[in-house]
Amino acid sequence: MSGPDHAAGHRHDLGIMAAIIWRTHRRGILVWVIALAASMIGTAASVAGLYDTPAKIHTYAEAVTSGSALAAINGHVEGIDSLGGVIQDEFGFLASFLLPLLGIALIAGSTRREEQAGRLETILGGRIARHQPTVAALAVATAAILVTSALFAAGLTLCGVPVSGSILYSAALGALAFVFAGFAALLAQLVRHARGVYTWSLIALAVAYLVRGVGDTTTSWLTWLSPLGWAEKTAPFADQRWWVLAVPALAGLASGSTAVLLAAHRDLGNALLRGGTGPARASWLRQQPIGFAAWIHRPATAGWLAGGLLLTAMMGALARQFLDAIAGNAALGDAIGIRGSRQLDGFIAATQVYLAVIGAGYVIQAIGTLRTEEAEGRLETRLAGTLSRLRWLAAHGAVVTAGLVFIVVGSSAVLALSTAGSVGNTDEVSAVMTAGLDYLPAELVFAGLALAAFGLWPRGYGATWAAYAVSTFVAFLGPGLKLAHWILDLAPTTHVGNPPLATVDAANLAALAVLAIALALAGFIAFRRRDIPLA
Amino acid sequence: MSQPTDLIRIRQLTKTFGKVRALDGLDLTVRAGEVHGFLGPNGAGKSTTIRILLGLIRATGGQVELFGVDPWRQAARLHRRLAYVAGDVALWPGLTGGQCLDVLGATHGSVDQKRRERLIERFDLDPSKRIRDYSKGNRQKVALVAALAAEADLLILDEPTSGLDPLMEQAFQLCVRERRQAGVTVLLSSHRLGEVEALADRVSIIRRGRTVTTGSLADLRRHTRTSVHAVTAREPDGLASAQGVADYVCERRDGHVDTKFTIDVDHLDAMIGRLHAARIHTLTVTPPSLDALFLQAYGESLDDGPQTSDTLAEAGR
Repeated sequence: MSGPDHAAGHRHDLGIMAAIIWRTHRRGILVWVIALAASMIGTAASVAGLYDTPAKIHTYAEAVTSGSALAAINGHVEGIDSLGGVIQDEFGFLASFLLPLLGIALIAGSTRREEQAGRLETILGGRIARHQPTVAALAVATAAILVTSALFAAGLTLCGVPVSGSILYSAALGALAFVFAGFAALLAQLVRHARGVYTWSLIALAVAYLVRGVGDTTTSWLTWLSPLGWAEKTAPFADQRWWVLAVPALAGLASGSTAVLLAAHRDLGNALLRGGTGPARASWLRQQPIGFAAWIHRPATAGWLAGGLLLTAMMGALARQFLDAIAGNAALGDAIGIRGSRQLDGFIAATQVYLAVIGAGYVIQAIGTLRTEEAEGRLETRLAGTLSRLRWLAAHGAVVTAGLVFIVVGSSAVLALSTAGSVGNTDEVSAVMTAGLDYLPAELVFAGLALAAFGLWPRGYGATWAAYAVSTFVAFLGPGLKLAHWILDLAPTTHVGNPPLATVDAANLAALAVLAIALALAGFIAFRRRDIPLA
Repeated sequence: MSQPTDLIRIRQLTKTFGKVRALDGLDLTVRAGEVHGFLGPNGAGKSTTIRILLGLIRATGGQVELFGVDPWRQAARLHRRLAYVAGDVALWPGLTGGQCLDVLGATHGSVDQKRRERLIERFDLDPSKRIRDYSKGNRQKVALVAALAAEADLLILDEPTSGLDPLMEQAFQLCVRERRQAGVTVLLSSHRLGEVEALADRVSIIRRGRTVTTGSLADLRRHTRTSVHAVTAREPDGLASAQGVADYVCERRDGHVDTKFTIDVDHLDAMIGRLHAARIHTLTVTPPSLDALFLQAYGESLDDGPQTSDTLAEAGR
């Protein structure tokens, strides 16, 4: 084959590979792109509706900039005294996680997961070269990110944000997703399992968030070390530093290229980091249904616990600064949803909502593991012995519930202690702990929902994640955006009643608990009656 | 009611998944102490039948008895007395082989630890390696060792050797024979006809969710034709038109008469007499292999609908 033909053939193969990735992952990609664009545009529209006069925007800006505490969470927004700035600030926390997750999920699913499942081997048995799946995965992910950014830019413009600012802000968020896509592609070459790709890139994301937070509160150069900082430093609604976009672009390209190089030179199925041998016998505990379930849920528990501890330690440490900021500007409390005279209670209440979202995410992921066990055939292996279905499910339910309590109590304790350390007294300790426990019934409603889905409609388990996404959106942004009551009522957390700021209605908690039990019961009954695996 | 000697008794079993009829009136009887070969092409319903037997999925219609009891109602209790190896062995990638054996063993009635050690050695398994680092064959060995080490009355093996090399397959056959001698009943679903031929006392052949035929290998062979190749001094008298003889070809070669034909087993004796009268020089009598049975059972009727149970006999005539 002559040179140009060869190159053309190569490009053709790359096109085939990209088409394969698109064909096999398009549903997931479309869900990500549409959900993300819709939530971002929805937020922008709500903010635009709420802050419809320069005076209102000015009040918001005054409030938010009156202390460094909010900057730690939402980031330091340059040009906050504009509609675009308010949107950037309101969306700051969610965007910090959702866009990197978009990049990570797009890459992990189409690279290491395929290799680990052995499907990549089939493809590489054909005319596709070893490095091409990685290149194609990056290309498809980049295209999805570009579409998301374009949709968001269009949405922002429609909401009345200036065009150039809209484009730069969307591009900065897209670049953020791109950095993490490149990083995930690199990790996919280094570790043997898709789970490892998620674990390590989420750790990197947590570090990036902390570094950006420290950098923004101390207004130091540290912000420049974090990919989240790069997005912020483009200053889309102030100085508009377009050149900063080059930093994430180069970082993403560098890690992506390294990944492609590694893919071209390493053995299929191999990884640079790999585990060794282990014990030849299982401990007594591991042989028990409960002990085995605990082993299965350990990674998820550790991950979400780390998230909860990180959040509560950071928030607690910032408590003093919050109080000072609110004392200096009464409007701040209103802007971030902390109302009334008991500001510390309001601050703790806001943190507890975040913690509730973490707890709910944990139960949905942990119970989703059961669906994975079934889909991969291990449930069949497990139930071929003397372990009955109900005992198996009960063991997992008990472990997940215990894990939830552990995460909530542990994180609440850290919040209580770090707040006490920050404000200098221990008056709030019991209020913090009680508030954490008050959210348990709402979190268990998610567990019930997940169990019901697993029992009744396991293939539709993704719907529980959709319900979670809606509830999270409502819980975080609903009160601030003054959404309608019936929308707020969709989120189980709404019914808890915002402790410790407001008094909790015990009847509501009981109703949530009853709902959780009813859903779980439906799940158990359906699971006992259905086929395994369910066709 | 089933006889106490039947460990598995399935009558007119049906199972539908949506519009697909996976099982369509399947019959299967496994007697105590036998190795029962369970044969059928891909998608015939072997794994579906086994899952129903294990109480993992529910029969749409028909009767299923495992140890005389409905497995859907009493699954976990019945599993005390059996061990199962799935066709597609799925284990936990993060556990070592040894840990997997213990976890699986914990859900068996009881495990013979000495036998476990012997089996690990015989199958050349490294129990400290993680499942994710094992090859497909080695993962299958873990599942086999777990099942064979269990103190079970019944072994249900769904294509247990599909990933094993010939040496390990030998080891497997040896183990199954040992278990059988110890009084264990085995239901062996397989594609490897040689394996079934070597191990099974009786076989059931299914196709499209129905039992095509069932019986001992000798029974099945009786319905099919034996090939004979004889070299005699002169042409055998009246053999071409004798009862039960077909495919008759006879030619002279180097002063001998070379005769080839097929014959019903029932007429073998009379045929030998005629050959003997023609003075036998060499004689080769080849009974039908299981491959031939298998191919005859559905090779000739791949395109048409459900078969009646006497298809095999017809195919032989």
